[in-house]
Amino acid sequence: MLDQPHSPAPLVQLVDIHKRFGGVHAVEGVSVDLYPGEVVGVLGHNGAGKSCLMRILSGAMAATDGAIFVNGTRAEVKTPQDAKSLGIETIYQTLALANHLDAPANLFLGRELKTRFGNLDEPRMLAEATEALRQLNPNFKNLRDPVARLSGGQRQVIAIARAIYFQAKVLIMDEPTAALGPSETAMVADLIMRLKAEGIGIFLISHDMGDVFELCDRVMVMNKGSNVGTFRIEDVNKDDILSLIVKGTLPEGWQPRGARV
Amino acid sequence: MAPGADKTGLRFLPSGATLHKLSALLTLVLLIGIFAFTSPAFLSVNNGLTVLLQTSVIALLAIGMTMVIITGGIDLSVGSVLALSGVVAGLLIKAGLPVYPAMMAGVIAGGLCGFANGLIITKMRITPFVATLGMMLIARGLALQLTGAAPISRLGDAFGQLGNGALFRVVEMQANGFPKVIFPGIPYPAILLLIMALVGAYLLNKRQVGRHIFSVGSNEEAAHLSGVNVHRTKIWAYTASGALAGLAGMVLMSRLSTVQPNEGVMYELDAIAASVIGGASLMGGVGSISGSMIGAFIIGVLRNGLNMAGTSAFIQQIIIGIVVIVAVYIDQVRNKT
Repeated sequence: MLDQPHSPAPLVQLVDIHKRFGGVHAVEGVSVDLYPGEVVGVLGHNGAGKSCLMRILSGAMAATDGAIFVNGTRAEVKTPQDAKSLGIETIYQTLALANHLDAPANLFLGRELKTRFGNLDEPRMLAEATEALRQLNPNFKNLRDPVARLSGGQRQVIAIARAIYFQAKVLIMDEPTAALGPSETAMVADLIMRLKAEGIGIFLISHDMGDVFELCDRVMVMNKGSNVGTFRIEDVNKDDILSLIVKGTLPEGWQPRGARV
Repeated sequence: MAPGADKTGLRFLPSGATLHKLSALLTLVLLIGIFAFTSPAFLSVNNGLTVLLQTSVIALLAIGMTMVIITGGIDLSVGSVLALSGVVAGLLIKAGLPVYPAMMAGVIAGGLCGFANGLIITKMRITPFVATLGMMLIARGLALQLTGAAPISRLGDAFGQLGNGALFRVVEMQANGFPKVIFPGIPYPAILLLIMALVGAYLLNKRQVGRHIFSVGSNEEAAHLSGVNVHRTKIWAYTASGALAGLAGMVLMSRLSTVQPNEGVMYELDAIAASVIGGASLMGGVGSISGSMIGAFIIGVLRNGLNMAGTSAFIQQIIIGIVVIVAVYIDQVRNKT
């Protein structure tokens, strides 16, 4: 973290975030930042607090303590609406789709397009959704079906399209490939690289080490609610990360591996 | 695929909800056919208007109930709120307020009860069943307390207009001095119902609030994460239900020309039955105003037809109970396949 190649200001800074549920500390004093065009992997085993931390940033959950800075200014992220208006979009692991509604309705849920008279502009939403979904998956048809009837991959595509349609600056992806087949996983990887090139900052929660090493610029590992280390991806290998995830410490005698080469 | 082609495709091969509505409509037509066959007086203009008049109260309640049910909730208080609204209007008229402002106040009182339901459910996090059960007792108790359980009568002719009047009514004075009704006209309650049903369907299908109502019932968590204000949406639905209960109260009390604080007992169950017969799911996310209107008329026609056939009120309850269960069962079987 010392020799950051980034010159611009961080897109997002989380500073000393705490979250307590009664006596349980789900997140304890975690700080992390994210720069434009950067993918930061958020790792840790189940219950390590990574989803909780990301939910705080996406406004789904309020932090007990700590501060969030967006583009250098302190921001209040109390509701998902707050996060969205700051350009922070989230792809939830559960996808957060309303099963009875069709794809356009889900894509625009909470941000419906309206006509001059304030009615829902269904034709425009359908057209925009068709275009947005086609970019991600050219085979996407049956747009007017309730999303409950779509396949897992199609549902994932809707969730992704919803996050990127509104010109996110910061994207939180919670296991975006968990429900996908190989070709769709490759599609998501391509997409991440494309968004990165556009200068979007991405927090990627993943259990897949392959994805992490392929896509991330930095990784941050959480263990029992604490940040046990943030590293450039060149400085660590799989074993280092596993050691951090499981034990919360690096292997003995560890040195930044990138420095050796 | 062009959206137009998609729509016509849906019309020819009805999807789940449309299919349910079609089968409900078919049931309604079938019932009318059976009753027309068994009692000749059933299929007369006069009886048609009677059914329309009788059903309008339940149907008004069912509009609000449907919205609430689509959010995944239930409103057990509408029968009592109907009575309380009537009492508020009646007392205000007695206090000297003109009829229509007093009726407006009655509707507002109903809306406030619904608003209170919404607040209790969202802010106090009490389940809709319990919250509206409480409101059912509170509103009924208030209505009885305010009136001492006695009806309020002699409210003037204007009070009876809404419930008994009709548009385009043609009456001719006969030579013997008795009036002869040439055309009974379209009853005001029926017109009011039509307007409210259209407004309800418009709000539910064409406006943002309707979209949000569906999303909250479909997946509350997803709606919240998508930026839908879940609390406001729910409060809106319960307030609409309360206000419609108030309006139904005005229609009912006006028809009786008296305010009866013990009117409307168990009406909530008829309204729920109408919504469910019309395809609304108590799990939320599914339902339509048109379906609920068909449901309300199935109940109305069933009541009226069984009355004309001389079936006892007890047997009627049994039959309507069976209809509700069968309707939901058919819906479930359809959803599985």
